[in-house]
Amino acid sequence: MVLEMENIEKSFGDKQVLSGVSFKVYGGKAFGLLGRNGAGKTTSIRILMDVFPANSGRVLIDGEPIDYGKIKTGYLPEERGLYPKKIIIDQLVYFAELKGMNRRDAVKAVDYWLDALQMTEYRNKRLDTLSKGNQQKIQLITALAHNPDIIILDEPFSGLDPVNAMLLKEVVKRQISDGKIVLFSSHQMNYIEEFCDSIAILNGGRVVLCGELHDIKRNYVRDRLVVRTAFPDRIKNDLNDICRTAENGDIIIKLSDAGEKQQMMKRIVENYDIDEIKVFEPSLNDIFVEYAGDEAREGKK
Amino acid sequence: MKQFARIFNFEIKYYFKNKIFIGVTVFLVLLIAAVMFFPRISEMFKNGDTQSEQAERPVMLVKAQDSDSSDFSEQEFAAAFGGYEVKATNEDTETIKDKIASGQAECAFVITGETTYTYYADNISMYDTNTAVADEVLQNIYRINAMVQGGMTPEQAQSVMSVGIEGSVVNLGTDQMKNFFYTYIMIFALYMVILLYGQMVATNVATEKSSRAMEVLITSAKPVSMMFGKVLASCLAGLVQLTAVFGSALLFFSLNRSYWEGNQIIASIFDMPATLFVYMLIFFILGFLIYAFMFGAVGSTASKLEDINTSVMPITMLFVVAFIVVMYSLSSGSVDTTLMKICSYIPFTSPMAMFTRIAMGTVAWYEILISVAVLGAGAAVIGVISAKIYRVGVLLYGTTPKISSILKAVWKA
Repeated sequence: MVLEMENIEKSFGDKQVLSGVSFKVYGGKAFGLLGRNGAGKTTSIRILMDVFPANSGRVLIDGEPIDYGKIKTGYLPEERGLYPKKIIIDQLVYFAELKGMNRRDAVKAVDYWLDALQMTEYRNKRLDTLSKGNQQKIQLITALAHNPDIIILDEPFSGLDPVNAMLLKEVVKRQISDGKIVLFSSHQMNYIEEFCDSIAILNGGRVVLCGELHDIKRNYVRDRLVVRTAFPDRIKNDLNDICRTAENGDIIIKLSDAGEKQQMMKRIVENYDIDEIKVFEPSLNDIFVEYAGDEAREGKK
Repeated sequence: MKQFARIFNFEIKYYFKNKIFIGVTVFLVLLIAAVMFFPRISEMFKNGDTQSEQAERPVMLVKAQDSDSSDFSEQEFAAAFGGYEVKATNEDTETIKDKIASGQAECAFVITGETTYTYYADNISMYDTNTAVADEVLQNIYRINAMVQGGMTPEQAQSVMSVGIEGSVVNLGTDQMKNFFYTYIMIFALYMVILLYGQMVATNVATEKSSRAMEVLITSAKPVSMMFGKVLASCLAGLVQLTAVFGSALLFFSLNRSYWEGNQIIASIFDMPATLFVYMLIFFILGFLIYAFMFGAVGSTASKLEDINTSVMPITMLFVVAFIVVMYSLSSGSVDTTLMKICSYIPFTSPMAMFTRIAMGTVAWYEILISVAVLGAGAAVIGVISAKIYRVGVLLYGTTPKISSILKAVWKA
């Protein structure tokens, strides 16, 4: 299955929120929708889930306009919250029923997920008696219990301890390998990097970068070197204009041309006492800052 | 439709599992039971207490002008003041005053002439009508004496004074006297239930929004199903509560009917005709819906529960004004004024206004039909608009938006 957002435009009043947003999400592969606060992620997700219509543009499944009667969506919103005063099993079954399950299947599915997330002991408790992390696991069940075709997870890892994060990772990986369309939205780049095969970065309502994460990284201009050394001062003195120190103490040397790469490596290896030298490969974090940062936005205008 | 049924189910459980809802209903039923059984219970106590009560009646001293008329005055005063033990006395004024001060007597009438007397009492309460009664007694004595002196026998004079008039009333229209009390109660019940449940719907929606359960709900269900499910569930809950209260009132009344025979007001309330009850039901449901929808829509625009009270103010005001107009016409007795006629076709006022006119005035059947049709259509339109406001409103966080900007957003959506 392929989900495609095609040229989505959306405005609220005079404010243009999305301008020509397009991206594709393939089943069996996780997709990361990135962007800073207010970039239009939530609006895109809401249009995708038919909360409100787009001004123009289409949402397609395998090339056909999506039929919400057939294609089921599961959503873990960034703003978490269910009914705090209600019994957990009651509200989980209610949400599953709203998504079209009959009562018996809903109870069965909810019980399955409570067990899978090690939450069975809280089945008949009120939601507000649970810790924040456990409430989040309950909320995750509302997104998964009805066996949706499209799963949208907005900041799924925030507020989880490492053990629970691991549990969630396993669950999500299972969903991906089952061929579901999984769409992530997160600011925690390490998780996106770990899960997502492809990404789209939104900035000011536009897609500024889109594609396979692997390709994006490879196509990045390889004009920077990373040097790890115990004696950075000499290098910094000699190459004052073109080098800077990274947060972890490494020295990053920016070349004027990627072709000089080999020459510079040779020079450094021969002249200085270093532990390691390599071509700089940007992390997703670096890519994100470059494309979603203020400079990028101003540069585009 | 399936979705609506599920939401309705879920919401109705909210009421029937709510301890406050159950508690209030049970309390009201018990209260009504207490009121309805009161005459029976007080009668039970009275039977045992009659003797002692008589002994404890306060003492009233009557000093006649001269000793000849002493017995006669005592008789007349005793007949007029059933609550007192009337004693004739010949003691002087000072002794009488002392007796009152020491508590041996509560009050005293010292008759000083044919038409004059002095009233002594320790404390004259605000509701002391003794002097007025005494005036009448003395007037009667004076008149009878005058008639006797004019040549009548005392018996003739007595019968002239105590002649009774018998009249009968034939009512050709609506008996406002009889209908007034149940109309009043019904309008008041309508008012209470709509305001109470309207607030509940608004709070319910705002709670979902502020707890962010809305984020999942809005992606799981259609706003129209959510709005109608919520409002209809609260309507049913309101009906159940009303039925419990009025049903138990009727039940307890029929158990104690004989004890209430003397009370015209209570008896008239339970003589309400069945057709009126049907109208009541129709206007209650439609009126409830129209207001509950508005309350729900307003609830969806509030970001915090604290904002609810100010947000619902305009609706509450509208409703209170309608209530005051109807109550004013109801108590002034003129329910077919132009204002009431107009109000009985406007959906926001017609539930109370039309019902009052049906109960207290004369309304043609087609007038009722038009009013109900307008009200029904109004409720449906308001329901759909409310669902639209709801869809826009629930996703707006931060400051409560202006009405104009919401309507603009609804118009575009």
